[in-house]
Amino acid sequence: MKQQLYEVWGDTVDSRHLGYSILIGAVVSLSAFFIAQHVLLGWVASAQMARAYAMLVGILGCLGAGAISACLFKPKRIVVEHQADPAQRALLLQELKEEFGDLGTLADLPASTVTELKEMDLYELFAAEERAASSVRAEAPHANTLAVPPAALAVKGGRP
Amino acid sequence: MTGLVLDQLLIALGMGVLGAMIFAGIGLISGSDETTTLAPLTLLVVLLGVPAPGVLTFFLAGAVAKHMTHAVPTALLGIPGDTMATPLMREANLLRNLGVPHIALRKMISGAVIAALIAVPLAVLFAVMLGPFGDPIKRAAPWVFLAAAVAIAWFSKGRLAAVLALIPFVLVIVGLQAVTAQYGVKLSVSYFLGIAIGPLIAALFSLLAPNERQAMSRTQARTFSLSPDVKGWGGYFPNPLRVLDRKQALWTGATAVISSATFVFSPVAMTVIMGEVVGARVKHVYHRLTTVIAARNGVTEATYIAEALIPLIAFGLPLSPVAAGPAAPLFNAPPRFTVDAASGQVNNLHNLLSTWEFLGYGMAAVIIAVLVAYPFTMNYAHRAASFVSRKISHEAVISTFVGLILVIGIWEGGALGLLVIVTVGLLGGLLSRFVGFNIGVQFMGYYTAVLTVPALAALLAG
Repeated sequence: MKQQLYEVWGDTVDSRHLGYSILIGAVVSLSAFFIAQHVLLGWVASAQMARAYAMLVGILGCLGAGAISACLFKPKRIVVEHQADPAQRALLLQELKEEFGDLGTLADLPASTVTELKEMDLYELFAAEERAASSVRAEAPHANTLAVPPAALAVKGGRP
Repeated sequence: MTGLVLDQLLIALGMGVLGAMIFAGIGLISGSDETTTLAPLTLLVVLLGVPAPGVLTFFLAGAVAKHMTHAVPTALLGIPGDTMATPLMREANLLRNLGVPHIALRKMISGAVIAALIAVPLAVLFAVMLGPFGDPIKRAAPWVFLAAAVAIAWFSKGRLAAVLALIPFVLVIVGLQAVTAQYGVKLSVSYFLGIAIGPLIAALFSLLAPNERQAMSRTQARTFSLSPDVKGWGGYFPNPLRVLDRKQALWTGATAVISSATFVFSPVAMTVIMGEVVGARVKHVYHRLTTVIAARNGVTEATYIAEALIPLIAFGLPLSPVAAGPAAPLFNAPPRFTVDAASGQVNNLHNLLSTWEFLGYGMAAVIIAVLVAYPFTMNYAHRAASFVSRKISHEAVISTFVGLILVIGIWEGGALGLLVIVTVGLLGGLLSRFVGFNIGVQFMGYYTAVLTVPALAALLAG
């Protein structure tokens, strides 16, 4: 049977699996509720409390239905272990520069943040970028001023 | 007497632990909305007759714990843990692409810990300052709710469309109430659940319509990239003040103080504004990303706590988006807790707890949530995200919520309860999707129907 995938409520589902899951949710939770209500009404003195407890059992039934559906139907997600690769990082720096304009200098950072960057192997990335930027500045001061976007954009954090 | 006090204290602490553990688990499931999960379970706790301190600790510990664990899908999977996490997505994604999502996660939740601890005493303080205005506001409640509904609608995505959409929405609720009253059924929870779960109901209906179905069709499953796990400290319990540097801790603290004072604005809006304020003052881009993400998450936490506590302590009326939504059962859970519009009489946690009790139990709830959820998130984030994304299908989540709709609807009003949930949910879900008439506005619409419309009718008749 071929999968029929749809995006419902923020994630992908298979339409047949969704149908069965809804059925399971209805049957399991309502049976739990009605059986509990039937038993408890004869057993607990106050009818109102009996119904409140029956609702609790019904909610446990919902969780049970969820567990059954989780066992029967596997997620329709492709999960990959993601490792940021150096080429992508260089691209990202470019993106950050476009958004924020000036990346700032490492000399501005408190010691703890410098240590943090070194632990993450990010220090060299920013240091190299800074060296490149300062050499560009030395060669062509005009080009650099043009590359800095208007101040309004920087204050907004570059949000569109 | 002391035995009774001790009993209450133990129940309160126990309920806090229970709430923190349940919601730490729920928070891991991305997209699990606060209103759809916190409101029904808190309502259940109220109706089961748990003493007032236990109700407060359950709710508050649950909310704080859920905020902590919903940072896991936000930072590691790049999907918002729920609506409150959406303003953090940009910083989270940039840090994830830099290969340091665990840093994003740690900064976020450490900011949340600091902000939560600051927010409770400040919210109590601001509530006390507002206290003198409590009586006039209670007397004017129907009109205050109308003004709040219009204001919240105007500041929603829909702007004027949302303000105007209030009219038919309120009319539908008034009409539904008249219909159910004919059969002697009075509903409230069903309306809340219908509003909260509207987007799901609208999505399921759309799936049945051929045209919409085609638009929702996907050729392949979504890809989630899960980032690798790195642990950067020894032992089990990390110190939030060492995870953040001094500057970050100070900014988080300062923005938390400011946002604790606001209780009428949407938490999402406050988060965006405060993030911009902080971001403009940090120079280096890496430092800016990590500082902004810590401060932003702190602001969501502080605003959330303030929005629940300030109206509860000062007025006993649900006068904020959070109070009208996820925290609604603390105000209104008939027959136990009630808000009566005509007389301005309230009977809920507002009357049952003193200011000092709010402060004490509030702090206890936050500390419990921090003890449960903070080390858990710091240590097991990667494994939890991996388990949830690989084992818990979306079908299973929907199955649980469909069950919830049926049980709550039939429990409250039989077939009529169920019909009301579906009607309100479908209408609200569609309005929210097409004109930006969001869930917060819908809750205010409900209160307008219940409180303002009778007052308006009386005014016109007189």
